[in-house]
Amino acid sequence: MTDLERLDSLKVALGGDILEITNPARRRIFLTVDRAKIASVLTALRDRLGITYVSTISGLDAGDAFEILYHLAEAAHGNVNVRIKIPKADPHVASVTPVLPGAIFYERELQDMFGLVIDGLPDPRPLITSDDWPAGNYPLRKDWKFERPAEIIPGGKK
Amino acid sequence: MKFNIPIGPQHPALKEPISLRMTVEGEVIRDADLRLGYNHRGMEKLAEEKNWTQNIYLVERICGICSHSHATCYVQGVEKLMEIEPPKRGLYIRYLVSELERVHSHLLWLGVAGHEAGFDSFFMYTWRDREVVMDLLEMISGNRVHYAMNTLGGVRRDLDEIQIKKILDGLVVLRQRTEYYFKIGASEPTFVGRLAGVGYLSKEKAIALCACGPTARASGITADVRKDDPQAVYDEVPFDVCTADSCDVLGRTVVRIKELMESYKICEFLLRNLPAGDIAVKAPKKAKPNEVVSRYEAPRGENIHYIRSNGTERPERLKVRAPTLANYPATIEMLKNGFIADIPLIFAAIDPCICCAERTVELVNARSGEETVVRFGDLRKLAGERFAKSPVKRNAVWPF
Repeated sequence: MTDLERLDSLKVALGGDILEITNPARRRIFLTVDRAKIASVLTALRDRLGITYVSTISGLDAGDAFEILYHLAEAAHGNVNVRIKIPKADPHVASVTPVLPGAIFYERELQDMFGLVIDGLPDPRPLITSDDWPAGNYPLRKDWKFERPAEIIPGGKK
Repeated sequence: MKFNIPIGPQHPALKEPISLRMTVEGEVIRDADLRLGYNHRGMEKLAEEKNWTQNIYLVERICGICSHSHATCYVQGVEKLMEIEPPKRGLYIRYLVSELERVHSHLLWLGVAGHEAGFDSFFMYTWRDREVVMDLLEMISGNRVHYAMNTLGGVRRDLDEIQIKKILDGLVVLRQRTEYYFKIGASEPTFVGRLAGVGYLSKEKAIALCACGPTARASGITADVRKDDPQAVYDEVPFDVCTADSCDVLGRTVVRIKELMESYKICEFLLRNLPAGDIAVKAPKKAKPNEVVSRYEAPRGENIHYIRSNGTERPERLKVRAPTLANYPATIEMLKNGFIADIPLIFAAIDPCICCAERTVELVNARSGEETVVRFGDLRKLAGERFAKSPVKRNAVWPF
């Protein structure tokens, strides 16, 4: 399937939900949708176009908002990336696990790394950060810096 | 009566130390719960502080077995960001090393599968033959593990005629040995019987849980990034995607043996058609603001890097997803309704790291809270005993 055919089928399947659609390289399509519609968009992609495979979900700290990219893939065409923007003041997004159960680890990773709140996640426990990880520390936010705690040698000099 | 068995975090039959909590009824696993992050190295954060060139060597260190996969995935993405086109010869050498890496990784896996199934001579044969390809990789790159072949705009070392001859000779040996392994499967009913039906993952589940690589292909899904989304040279190279439809560890074994044969074919094609010319072009220091999704078929499955540049020497964001993470949800599904004794085999079947497999499992009795520590070797012995008592699966056949 060529990129043009895929672009057309995406436009037919999603209609007005697409805010922006680009095709910067062969077999790569980036489309932007509203964050409230992410679950319905992925359902439409799954049911109408048969795109069932989510490679991963990338998060990005873009200043006053988070950008989340759902990297979907299919054998017939290649790679479709669905982008949503989430304002930092209200970092909520609906879980896509009802549509794509394989996305669960990627969503849990987003919660740990960016402090997003994924609503409706069947298992919202931390996945990556350690059990004693201090609350409110989200490592992949740009304003987060690692500070090595002062080394204390037992019995050493004070 | 249900028991909880914690496996890990210091029990990895897996690449990273991970914690699995099994709920078992008798010897049957009813549920498995996963906790990651014990080996989290913060590489994505670190990558934002390193420049484009330094990051090649950083991502190469994500994995010790498919090191070339991550470096290649990263490099092919950054080359797109920098808008440079590596010379053909450089690309052929880059993907030649990719295929040789796949050969060494699959041979390693076959040995592990044999070992976990209690077929240790198979393990010793495959690991001895793996030395052939390890020596070839050392000859090409100077290294056995982190080849450091990639650079932005091509590769760092060229091949000469003598080396090409040596690689072709090595491939002849490897091909003969792989054909022999295929025959062993067909003529060794205990091996086939041990693998058949273990770790069942239906096609529907594999699709729903987004499994990738040989795990998905053994469940009848024809998904291979080299075919679906051919990077650089793969649309010029003739090869087939190998699948199996038995959906179990036997299928995963067959898929990997068949893939070995395909990899030899690809290597020979690349060597026989190696174009003349340069191996690398000069890369700029900075990349314009842009983004790229780079996909690569690593030995374990699809490897995907999302790279965003911001016009400086450093990436704005580098997101890495290795295939093992994609296969975890499927592994939980495979473990369900399996036996405790099959845990090593099922774990091994998604091809995690095994050099650290000799660890302990704690068996906790849910009623008394009494803990017994069992060595991984004993667990394997337990597996052997269970299998010895079970009826031979006479209907299990090696799929030709």
